[in-house]
Amino acid sequence: MPERLRQLLPSVLSVLLALGVCWALIALTMEPGTATKAYLQMLWGGIGNWPAYLEGAAATVITRPLGEAAMKAALLTLTGLSVAVAFKVGLFNIGAQGQMLLGALAAAVVGAHVTLPGVLHVPAALLGAALAGAAWAGIAGLLRIYRGVHEVISTIMLNWVALSLVDNWLVVGPLRGAAEGGQSITGTAEIQATAVLPRLLGDGSRLNLGFPLALAAALAVWVWLTRTRSGFETRAVGLGAEAARAAGIPVARRMGLAMALAGAMAGLAGAVLVLGTEGRYPGTLGAPYGFDGIAIALIGNNHPLGATVSALFFGVLRAGGTRMQLLGVHKSFPELIQGLALLFVAGRMVWLALLRRRNVAPAASAEVPRA
Amino acid sequence: MLDVLHSLLFSTLDAAPALIFAALGAVLSERAGVIAVGTEGMMRVGAFCAAVAALAMPTPLAVVMGMLAGAALAGVHGFLSIRWRSDQVVSGIALNLVALAGGTFLLESLYGPNGTPPIQQLARWNIPGLSGVPVLGALSGHSAPTYLALVLPFVFQGLLTRTPLGLRLRAVGDKPQAVATLGLSVPGLRWGAVLGSGLLAGLGGAVLSTAVLDRFEQHTPAGLGFMALAAMVFGRWTPVGAFLAAAFFAFGNALRIGLVSSAPGLVELIPQGVLLALPYLLTLGVLALQGQRSSAPAALGTPYEQESR
Repeated sequence: MPERLRQLLPSVLSVLLALGVCWALIALTMEPGTATKAYLQMLWGGIGNWPAYLEGAAATVITRPLGEAAMKAALLTLTGLSVAVAFKVGLFNIGAQGQMLLGALAAAVVGAHVTLPGVLHVPAALLGAALAGAAWAGIAGLLRIYRGVHEVISTIMLNWVALSLVDNWLVVGPLRGAAEGGQSITGTAEIQATAVLPRLLGDGSRLNLGFPLALAAALAVWVWLTRTRSGFETRAVGLGAEAARAAGIPVARRMGLAMALAGAMAGLAGAVLVLGTEGRYPGTLGAPYGFDGIAIALIGNNHPLGATVSALFFGVLRAGGTRMQLLGVHKSFPELIQGLALLFVAGRMVWLALLRRRNVAPAASAEVPRA
Repeated sequence: MLDVLHSLLFSTLDAAPALIFAALGAVLSERAGVIAVGTEGMMRVGAFCAAVAALAMPTPLAVVMGMLAGAALAGVHGFLSIRWRSDQVVSGIALNLVALAGGTFLLESLYGPNGTPPIQQLARWNIPGLSGVPVLGALSGHSAPTYLALVLPFVFQGLLTRTPLGLRLRAVGDKPQAVATLGLSVPGLRWGAVLGSGLLAGLGGAVLSTAVLDRFEQHTPAGLGFMALAAMVFGRWTPVGAFLAAAFFAFGNALRIGLVSSAPGLVELIPQGVLLALPYLLTLGVLALQGQRSSAPAALGTPYEQESR
């Protein structure tokens, strides 16, 4: 088996195993028939109900689910990229959630309070979000570079600082939107029409510009990492900071830049959520896409394109998850599948050992697999 | 004034134990060199299992069930990170995600969205003669975990700094190779520490659903596991330090809640969100000032490989 393919196997097998375990979980708590039906609902809710369409239903049975899936996939791709980029330089970015909150807030402020012509407004809001996310991640980067503070601890702390400051102060205090028509609203003021990400498939589907934007970002990160000098240096730092330093690579600068880029990606996720679907920073951002990004990146083997593929897959599951409620399965079920898949991916060494025993001559099986 | 102090102290003593136990667990695990990001998940599992068990058995026994559940999750963490030398942060985060989504799924499919049915809370102990004393009287009227939480950190501190086992545990987190050359088992010691941290985090979670509340709520423990990590860092990875930090955070929280209800004017001046962010900001500040390398265990997060001795 080619080496590259074997690298992919643990992820694929983990996802399949997670799907199987979760199927068994529904089958045990309800009925086996319900489990299969729920999985089918999840599939139709994610990629569109093709059987119904072929029997003559309107095209929206396809475009609406696809729009939901694409919307979720865009967010997961961007947060997944955020985690993956940091990984490439050897840092573990647990702070994508906080960076996303800041990005979402920046996008909401620029979208609502800055008046710009249509062509410029969306890019300005996106830029503001990227900068806000980058700055928040930059704090963790600086603490790591200059004070040796481990980024896992600092980004966890920064997540909670962001959550407290944004959700419990700014959004309910200084930045709270003014009452509209005598009705007080939760969240910030609504963004102007010029800042809304345009929809691509008309009103029947929420598919918007955010999706191609996320795919383009993934492609750009991949090109940067594999085809440019600074990308190469970044990967070199991730593989061994001391060796990279000895080779004359500016380790601190590469770390700082990669962390800022990671924050920018998470910030963009916040912007896509606010400009594409919410229309404002809501009372609370809800789903923890930033934490999902960790799972997405790791299941995608920390590769920008791998993360995109896993984001597309889980985007479909997550969009379909809401349909499972029709059968009494809670809509957070796909998150359980995702968590279990990450747990199995964490057992990568187990997979590799299992695969090795079967595929390689017995002499090698005595050797303990290494990281 | 004394009344205010009394009620502040009382609610701190009620709320702090969960945080203290979880922080102690995190200290135990990290001093042995295994990162404890999964604390939040272990607390959640402990809280859930204790609440469900308490529907069928006496509450103290249910708390033990919660502890065992936390240890079971820690067992998965140990299997992945000690036996298979996986990345400890990845394994911990995965456990958090599984506990978060799995808890929601089981709760919704078994009891509906409003949490488990109410259970019998742990009994509160009244210390005779203390109830009438001003301020000190706040010590009376808590359930058993509160008193345990006031003693256990000092026991742990003694264990860690004054006994051979404690020396070995610290050594396994700082320089596992040295422990191995003495003929001791590095994986064995780390397993013990990780399972112990699971028991403690599970206890912390169980306290939440059997003493602080009387049920398992959807969002339990709502980030308390991460605050336990903050307390551990703030307390510079020592049991008593983590205890003091956890008690300080819990007191700050009680003060905040007290202020919101009694002095809304002050909350206008210093917004709640800023107060909520304070523990984490303080932790970041301490880290920025002293640098982490000076106090974190040297081999934290590094899987032990026999060949690399």
